[in-house]
Amino acid sequence: MAAREPSRFLSRALPRASVPSIRPQGFLSRRNVSDEAPSRRLSDHLSELESASSLSTPVPDSAAQSFDPVARAKARKTQLPRGRYQFRSPKYDRGPLHPHQPPPASDPSSRLFVPGPFSAPRAEQTYDATVAADIMSLCYVHTPPGFTPPPKAPRLREWDDSSPYHKNRVLRGPRGGDVLRLLRKPIKFNNIPEIERITIHSYVNKAATENSSWLHVAGIAVQAISNVRVETFKSKTSVANWGIVPGRDSVAVKAELYGENMYHFLGKLVDVVLPRIKDWEGVKGTSGDSSGNITFGMEPENVALFPEIEVNYDMYPPKMIPGCHITLHTSARTDKDARLLLSAMGIPFYGKIVN
Amino acid sequence: MKSLSPALASLANVFRVPMSMAPARPSVSRVCHETLNRQQQKPGPVTAALQSASFSTTGAMAKRKSGGSTTDKRITMIRYFLHHPLTPRPLRFSRNRYLRHWTIHRAWQLFQAQQRRKQELELMRQYQSMQEACEELRTGAGDGGKLFRVSMNKKGIFTDMFPIEYARMQTETPPAEGWNYDWKKPERK
Repeated sequence: MAAREPSRFLSRALPRASVPSIRPQGFLSRRNVSDEAPSRRLSDHLSELESASSLSTPVPDSAAQSFDPVARAKARKTQLPRGRYQFRSPKYDRGPLHPHQPPPASDPSSRLFVPGPFSAPRAEQTYDATVAADIMSLCYVHTPPGFTPPPKAPRLREWDDSSPYHKNRVLRGPRGGDVLRLLRKPIKFNNIPEIERITIHSYVNKAATENSSWLHVAGIAVQAISNVRVETFKSKTSVANWGIVPGRDSVAVKAELYGENMYHFLGKLVDVVLPRIKDWEGVKGTSGDSSGNITFGMEPENVALFPEIEVNYDMYPPKMIPGCHITLHTSARTDKDARLLLSAMGIPFYGKIVN
Repeated sequence: MKSLSPALASLANVFRVPMSMAPARPSVSRVCHETLNRQQQKPGPVTAALQSASFSTTGAMAKRKSGGSTTDKRITMIRYFLHHPLTPRPLRFSRNRYLRHWTIHRAWQLFQAQQRRKQELELMRQYQSMQEACEELRTGAGDGGKLFRVSMNKKGIFTDMFPIEYARMQTETPPAEGWNYDWKKPERK
């Protein structure tokens, strides 16, 4: 029975792996100090492997005799689909009543399935290991058990009934403007601010005034530094100086980074790019949209400092490398909390801090 | 054609690595190489002499004064790579391989969920022990809550922002001198 014999390829491949090589450190020819780190040491990984092969275990005779796949298949009431059968997720949404429904996005056969994550980014590990707990303990405010904070005034004000026309009117907005700010809840273990996504946006006005090559170079540069396919956008406003008409010219590219991509990008930004910018003091303290998202800009020569562009710098027309705006979206509800988080992750702020 | 070991050959078959010498579509390196060669044609003395003869490789449009396309070759290449439509095909497996793939996928999802849960529980534990310590200071210390009041004072800790020295991404091999005991909070300009 062929299934019980080890494959001939396997028997040929196994001894090859166990031959002692000149370099015991594995496949890399270079040795680094970090190779000695406990998580990288090869001998530890090898000792975890079982030395005995499960293929050599003898199969009991009863199991071998009762193994009759043909009879089992025939005994089925309804036959399985053939072995090569593929479930294909429908290409178009035909509504909830259609019998052919797409599987959830986490299913490998879904068209939306994205495999991964394949790595543990350093920024994410740092956040999980130290930053989250530190922020939680810094923001801790003790409330005795049974304490309920006094109710605050309603955020939308009533009209004083000085006029009969006030009846059934919608409520007034808050004082000093019609913007309802986000409510900040006390930071506990379940709402520690974290980075949700990063947006890289680049507005290329020459794409409208000159030709599309500016947009293409900007797109591929943003794609290179972010590892995400970019989207292009048409202008919404008209800019007379640049001759931009709304809705006609594609002038901007944007990439949205989540999860693994986001943390890798943040790590590169903090470790490689930002420290090499000349005379850069940091992100302005007034930046932020007062609901926990912080934006800063990067000049074209700073975008060129990204390692992905730098190694391949000759392949980009140097004048066309774009500048960009980078928005760090955090789950904090105020800019102050967002800055606390970002400064812990290594983004410096300077100047007057406005919360 | 180079002969590969059967294991490598089957791997190449699985990942659709073309084994013949002429690839089905131009490879990246070949396209780059050709385009760059076209861009920098600096003839040596011999080729220059040859080219001064009646034969020329210059395109007819490029020879004209109005000029043909003067697009930078790098931009041509960027457009090629930006727009080329080939994406990896979806995974197609037979029943057993699909089941194996699905099992590993589910196990990985489960592992990640467990990690997240562990992280969350650890934070909860820390938070609750902070709470208990503060409550103990407030009621059980026997000094009328003075220690508690002092401990609640947030003066001199980084409630505003962390200093930049704090923000150091963790490494597998931290420096031998990991903690600077002489560190002082820098003066704000």
